[in-house]
Amino acid sequence: MAIKLSKIINNWVPDDSKVIDFGCGDGSLLKELMDTKKVLGYGVEINDTKIQKCIAKGVPVIKQDIDLGINEFESSNFDLSIMARSIQCLKNPANALKGMLKLSKRCVVTLPNLGYWRCRLNILSGEMPVTPELPSSWYETENIHLCTIKDFEKLCVDENIKIKDKVFLNKKGDQSTFVSIKPNLLAVEGVYLLEK
Amino acid sequence: MKVRTELINFADGITLDSGDRLEKFELMIETYGELNESGSNAILLCHAFSGNHHAAGKNKESEIGWWDEIVGPNKAIDTDKYYVVCCNNLGGCGGSSGPTTINPSSEKPYGKNFPQISVKDWVNSQKMLMDKIGVPYWHLVAGGSLGGMQALEWAISYPNDIKKAGIFAAASNSSTQNIALNEVARESIRKDQNFHDGDYLEHNVIPKSGLKTARMLGHITYLSEELMDSRFGRRFQDEDSKVDQEVDFEVENYLQYKGEKFSESFDANSYILMTKAMDGYVAGQDIGLRDAMKNVKSQLLIVGFYSDWLYPPERGKEIQMAAMDNNINSSYIVLEGAHGHDSFLFSSEEYSKVISKFIES
Repeated sequence: MAIKLSKIINNWVPDDSKVIDFGCGDGSLLKELMDTKKVLGYGVEINDTKIQKCIAKGVPVIKQDIDLGINEFESSNFDLSIMARSIQCLKNPANALKGMLKLSKRCVVTLPNLGYWRCRLNILSGEMPVTPELPSSWYETENIHLCTIKDFEKLCVDENIKIKDKVFLNKKGDQSTFVSIKPNLLAVEGVYLLEK
Repeated sequence: MKVRTELINFADGITLDSGDRLEKFELMIETYGELNESGSNAILLCHAFSGNHHAAGKNKESEIGWWDEIVGPNKAIDTDKYYVVCCNNLGGCGGSSGPTTINPSSEKPYGKNFPQISVKDWVNSQKMLMDKIGVPYWHLVAGGSLGGMQALEWAISYPNDIKKAGIFAAASNSSTQNIALNEVARESIRKDQNFHDGDYLEHNVIPKSGLKTARMLGHITYLSEELMDSRFGRRFQDEDSKVDQEVDFEVENYLQYKGEKFSESFDANSYILMTKAMDGYVAGQDIGLRDAMKNVKSQLLIVGFYSDWLYPPERGKEIQMAAMDNNINSSYIVLEGAHGHDSFLFSSEEYSKVISKFIES
């Protein structure tokens, strides 16, 4: 997954840029970008096991709860901040978005699409969606702010955030022209390049 | 594990940060493991204020080293793979030149006249040691508390001689509260009637009671409130094992015992010198931490512990922020740590894994 995502993000990341990845997991996305684009990357992660994996890969990592602060990284002059599949877990996604665009000119956000037809079917049948992309039941999930592609783009308009580029992924995690016809219904995931 | 102890002589002396000179000095060192042919596997351990060169394994007196949980065969700092060196810091009382050493010009112990040493001086003397024992560079310099300050200073002062720095439960300077607590400890030593303005050796006495009180205070600051609660609670000490009839609670007995033991082995002038060095340290004295770290080339691992209120994790984070401003490959981890400030001494699964993965990465 990280490799597929890094191929998309690759086009948006200039060589040698300074990148921060919020919710970096085991660091594989940053590792890819470090190897292919020579970026200087920092990951932010809260899970100790994932942190150990970052360190084993040589990916610099900071242990921090993203909900508690993004602003303090402002002095570091990042070129790009990334939040892959994490924004829906935050207490205040809109603040996080604004925060990311304060500490770097551009940011990449990826989010699972609650408008995906399988999710809609689940809801039509009267149940919260459980799909391969959203595998946890409602009482276990960390996803407290799920939204659809449409919802997210509306937030960007409301907050005056420019969508510079976007890519929609099918259930295999691949970029797909078919899915892009009606992303709010067909896309499993949206990948956005945002600018202030 | 073989524990080798050696006294290294520096006949050319050293010019100190203060401008003072020591015409000659000696460093007591301990080493474990073997230096490989390319010299790429050397690790320097820096001790905290009351530590010494005996970091791991058992010495001749059968004492266990201060970082034995972390350093040894198959441990986080693996002596089967790495050549590990630890020295007693200059000005200490573990065998290196310090206040109890004979001053060649007076033929009496230096006592209070031993020049004030700084963290920079320690790092400079450790660099001289590195050259002397044929280590081309350190793969890692690591330490906790005051030892972490030395690891940070290594990265700043000798960017070409160190690949990685492990900075644990430390800060880029001592806080106001750190200085305040140290001053209470020093005051108790100075006001001991046997201190004799630092000339106690000439009077053939030691300011034992002052040292003991200082250490008791120190111990409180090294532990967390939670640990003290769980370890001692409000339990009363058994009559049979009381170190002192005045003692009621277990925690009192513990502090009395630890203080007493320390006061028998630690030199009072060293105590004052070491704490003064700690209080006086400011990474990037004149230019600030951010600019001071401009030339750092090594990777950093900064570890803080939630239960540490003496050098709380936020102090480590300051170093991380300055590192990121300077595009340094630096990681900052916070662990629970069951032991307060002392947590850096003890192994836990997360702590050991993070250290070993950092070394190997």
